[in-house]
Amino acid sequence: MAEETYPINLWINEERLEKLQQAGLSSMCKEVLAGLKVLAVPNTAAQRDKVLKMFPMAKFDTATTKSIELLPKAVKDKIFDLVVQKKSLNIMDDFLKS
Amino acid sequence: MDNIGHGGKEIVERILPKSAAIKRLSELRAAKVKELPVRLQIATEVIDIAYGFFSPLEGFMTKADVESVCDNMTLADRKTAWSIPIVFDISDDDLKKSGIKQYDEVLLTYTGNPFAIFDVTDIFSLDKKEVAMKVYGTTEDKHPGVKRTYQYQDKFLGGKITLLNPPKINEPFTRFWLTPKQMRERFQEKGWEMIINHQTRNVPHTGHEWLMKGAYLGAYGSMMVDKPRGGVLVNAIIGEKREGDYIDEAIILCQEAQGKYGYFREDIFLTTCSLWDMRYAGPREAVFHACLRTNLGCTHHMFGRDHAGVGSYYDPYDAHRIFNKLPDGSLRIKPIFNLDWWFCPVCDEVTYMGLCGHKDKKASFSGTLIRSIIQDGVKPPRRIFRPEVFDIIMECAEKYGFGSAFVNEQYLKNRQPVFTIEPLK
Repeated sequence: MAEETYPINLWINEERLEKLQQAGLSSMCKEVLAGLKVLAVPNTAAQRDKVLKMFPMAKFDTATTKSIELLPKAVKDKIFDLVVQKKSLNIMDDFLKS
Repeated sequence: MDNIGHGGKEIVERILPKSAAIKRLSELRAAKVKELPVRLQIATEVIDIAYGFFSPLEGFMTKADVESVCDNMTLADRKTAWSIPIVFDISDDDLKKSGIKQYDEVLLTYTGNPFAIFDVTDIFSLDKKEVAMKVYGTTEDKHPGVKRTYQYQDKFLGGKITLLNPPKINEPFTRFWLTPKQMRERFQEKGWEMIINHQTRNVPHTGHEWLMKGAYLGAYGSMMVDKPRGGVLVNAIIGEKREGDYIDEAIILCQEAQGKYGYFREDIFLTTCSLWDMRYAGPREAVFHACLRTNLGCTHHMFGRDHAGVGSYYDPYDAHRIFNKLPDGSLRIKPIFNLDWWFCPVCDEVTYMGLCGHKDKKASFSGTLIRSIIQDGVKPPRRIFRPEVFDIIMECAEKYGFGSAFVNEQYLKNRQPVFTIEPLK
């Protein structure tokens, strides 16, 4: 059975979409909520716990979406840049090391 | 509309008219009564008591009331349902320094100005851990209600409050501030016989809008539709903030926008605010909200999934089940229970678990998720979030939030207070 993952949702505005398109990564986005685009960056339970410890303002939405939300925009920008740089969604180890 | 509030009693108003207040103040000062400055937490609840938001309470709870609230979820009369202690704390040191004794009349001041008279009839201590366990179901100080309980000083004063000096409610809250009696007058003017309360401390997304509309249709039932005989009251909780919450100004103005921009007809929609520091007590807070909104004159109260909860301390539907545990007739308001809702890409609308047959395709969203989208600088689609509401959030961020729609350190430190107490003259 696949290990459960806990995503960080990177919501895609025009600026982020342009960067993804330039890197040929726009197909990584999913469409959710009436056409809203998102990149869901997976975290293991251990990574989730580290993220929540590092950024106490973040919240794990246990009730509804089971995702890590409310990370500061600057942090999410950094995660987004890593996704583009590595052309992969599996970047959380690198992010946490950095 | 009569003025009968929670507990079947007349709405309490304990406010001296201005001329009587000025006279009383000079008498108190001539008699050199003890003066005691209060902090915002206490000042807020003095106002709530004095205007009848907490009817039938006439003052801060005595030990007998607190114990009964904890043990029986009633006041000391063992009849009137009440779920959250309303207490006035004071440190041992301040108590000694002030020399306050049982049956003293004390002049409370706020921000240096005379505020209210406190007739102290009880001085007591509490086992704070026991209170936390009984009220919040946990003793962990990660729970904000428990944390608040532990932060109380070691002694408590109980007794009646009389307001001398009414608060000046500052903009943009002025037009949203209605006392329970004023609220009832407003309902009468509108011809509303049925008033559904929507409890909120959020800006609205279409999930909230859908639930309010669903509750309205459900509760309207068989009433004649020749004219609006009922409406939705959005009663926003304005109080202590936590970092990351929406700023109060955005909450109230965005709620109002739902009527202003026609998502509800203005004649069936009203936005007001109540001053209350959320305790996040889940089911017990739900009961408190029911009492509060009874006092506002509401006939129905919506309770959603995880109402007034925090973290994973409560089951998502504990706040529904608690109403089954109350004796019949304890409340004069009808709960409307809302189940889960989501965006369904097949129905292409916000819908409800009790209706939608595409559960496997559902896209759940929550207030937290929407906050996350907004923090990322993304404008959500109008089926999820109304564009006018988004624009108001952005305006509020600039006008009131020091560039952010969410509470941060700067906002907590420098925001314009919701109310001020001015010199009494």
